Amino acid sequence: MRRRQMTDDDAGAGGPLDDGDAGSSAPSVRDRAFDALDRLVAASATERLLISGSALLLSIAIGFLLILAAGRMTSCGSAAYSLLGVGFCYDPFLVYDSLFLGAFGDFLANPLNGQFATTVSETTVLVFTGIAVAVAFKAGVFNIGGQGQLVFGALASALVVYGVSGAVSGLVGTLVLVSVGLATGAFVGGIWGAIPGALKAYADANEVITTIMLNFVATSFALYLASGPFKDPESFANQTRTLPEFALFPQPLFPGRTDASLLALALAITVAVGIAYLLRGTSFGYDVRTSGIQPEAAEYGGVDAARTVVASMALSGALAGLGGAVYVFTIAGNFQTGVPDYGFDGITVSILAGNNPVAAIAAALLFGVLKSGSIVVDVGTDVPPELVGVLRGLIVLFVAMPEFFRMIGERVDVRDRLGGSRDAVATDGGEEA
Amino acid sequence: MSATAAVSDLGTRARLAVAGAAALFLSAGALALTGSTDVLLAVLALLFEKSTLAAALRLSVPIAFAALGGIFAEKSGVINIGLEGLLIVSAFGGVYVTSITGSVWLGLLGGVAVSTLLALLFAIVCIEFRADQIIAGLAIWLIALGLAPFASTVVFGSTNASAGTTFPSIGRLLANSGLPVVSTAGVAALDALAGVPFFGALFEASPMVYLMFVAVGASWWTLNRTSFGRWVHASGENPKALDTAGVRVSRVRYAAVLLSGVLAGVGGAALSLSLGQFVGNGPTMVNGKGFIAIVTYLLGNYNPVGALLSTLLFAGLDALQLSLQGQNVLAIPRPLVRTIPYVSVIVVLALFGKTRLPEAAGEHYESGEE
Repeated sequence: MRRRQMTDDDAGAGGPLDDGDAGSSAPSVRDRAFDALDRLVAASATERLLISGSALLLSIAIGFLLILAAGRMTSCGSAAYSLLGVGFCYDPFLVYDSLFLGAFGDFLANPLNGQFATTVSETTVLVFTGIAVAVAFKAGVFNIGGQGQLVFGALASALVVYGVSGAVSGLVGTLVLVSVGLATGAFVGGIWGAIPGALKAYADANEVITTIMLNFVATSFALYLASGPFKDPESFANQTRTLPEFALFPQPLFPGRTDASLLALALAITVAVGIAYLLRGTSFGYDVRTSGIQPEAAEYGGVDAARTVVASMALSGALAGLGGAVYVFTIAGNFQTGVPDYGFDGITVSILAGNNPVAAIAAALLFGVLKSGSIVVDVGTDVPPELVGVLRGLIVLFVAMPEFFRMIGERVDVRDRLGGSRDAVATDGGEEA
Repeated sequence: MSATAAVSDLGTRARLAVAGAAALFLSAGALALTGSTDVLLAVLALLFEKSTLAAALRLSVPIAFAALGGIFAEKSGVINIGLEGLLIVSAFGGVYVTSITGSVWLGLLGGVAVSTLLALLFAIVCIEFRADQIIAGLAIWLIALGLAPFASTVVFGSTNASAGTTFPSIGRLLANSGLPVVSTAGVAALDALAGVPFFGALFEASPMVYLMFVAVGASWWTLNRTSFGRWVHASGENPKALDTAGVRVSRVRYAAVLLSGVLAGVGGAALSLSLGQFVGNGPTMVNGKGFIAIVTYLLGNYNPVGALLSTLLFAGLDALQLSLQGQNVLAIPRPLVRTIPYVSVIVVLALFGKTRLPEAAGEHYESGEE
């Protein structure tokens, strides 16, 4: 009963929890409350979009200055770019052109080109790690361990699928292997995610530290397995045996091994929408969100906060592990040490998307473009591709300080249109979406 | 006042003792798994070797300095989870300035300057623009994780960079000091003391090790015996009272966060300059030391001395795993041995996770005047 009442005003995220008065009185009051909430949510979503957009632009602007500064610190034969009579070794416009447009390749001539394929496959993995972080955030848990969960998910699915691949073949084989691989990745990632969840819930160990430590443990452990017991004997690199072609994700559209499967992307989008529904429309999602916003109120409302934390971390880990399996199936073809930073990028994706699983798809595309574009930057210019790492940090920093944009907003007087709600991404739930 | 201090000290000591026991128990358990007393004895012998203490002291420096910085920031109410990032940029800054000037001491200053600048950015973001401290701290780490290898590649053409020189030993420092008695008798005494088994390592360490001990003492003094220390404490526990007493809370917090930048900067520069190089690929040479530092001061209950002791515990484990890797005592593969410090951090956090944060830590404070 009490739980029902709270559902009515839980969507008021950030608003006062007036203990269900609105719910128990006349429906008209409820309707009015919902109207108000709808407006609040809408205003807040616009505001979020503005904040994320401004954070992105500001990061790009600072990156521009950084490229210019770096161009002064290095030496080159002739200036690539000059501004106000000063020569710079790097041309920021060329860099950004490579970064953002390069990622699409020659899209108009051939939409199925290799570079765009890379963008699609990177985006796919990032959707998984992004919603992984978002789910944990919703429960008020900051999962920085996506990287470790992804690494273990990838490793486990590569090993299991290789082990099973001898037993099946053909189209049925593909179906079986892909499902087995995805399930394995999700399961192992889920367990690796549940550990810090349980440590937080039952031993009060700060998840930020434990998840980071578990990343180091996972990386080392995966190195041990991929360089020792499960090493591909025919390779010098630390990697497991390559999976047979039919065991990989089907790529009906992109020809040959151009590393992109629209089926995988479709799966990612389906999962994202499913997670959004899980959070919005189910009682589990309700538990998760209330524990994130108001742990005390959630307990009071009959939510087992400890169990919710463990469950949401397990779910978060499972999503990251799923990302790892997809990485193996679409990009790597086996497990190799030195997995790219998808887990950390997932944090940026989630924060940029305001922890909204559906918005995370768009944010993942942005970072897919950045990751793929950084390869173009690496090949086509002298600017180190680590630039993208800096941009990633800057974006997180700026999204974390909405007050900055509000102060600017006040100057140009758009504040009235935005409404006064102050709930930005925060580690205590990052409510609203 | 003194009674509560004594109680918290007692608490710190008890926690450290239990943590130490737990660490020993764990290592013994791990060894028992390998099932041989010979191995156990060999590891114990390693534990009491001079080189292990030397390595533990060397490995302690970046962690201890970062932990001291973290104590000031967090006690003032700003949780600085970006310590890792501060260590990374100062490790590179130190190497960069040293490679230009040829002086490790200027390099040290350079590292401190870079780290303090990044800490200033963090402070502005958290105090002025009320950012979520955890996310902003994480951003500082991510920025450093991109920026240091980026700058290294721009300047040195590779994510790894060489400074060309390292810190001189304390003996050479004295010998070159030109002071009449110290340069001869002092060096002779140090040489003699360095010959002592195990503890000899204390007398032939890098100057940064001694600076670490000085910094721990100075931090303890500042926090417990000066009015700035009392302000820091009040700013984290009861900012309103501090405000009422006429001290600007935001100023105290700025000072504390900048101080954390200075201290972490010393730690980061000491890390890279004691090796004479910066390693910037993957998680960089800092490799989680900033996060371990956070755990050490939580375990040390925000007491600089407690933080130093728990740092020595973690660094000792790290030194042990390095010797274990080097000497092949254990049958356990190297990548697994390397996880020992990280696993021990998790175990310690699970056992002592319930630390009492300063009352107002993580919260923005707004003075009523505005």
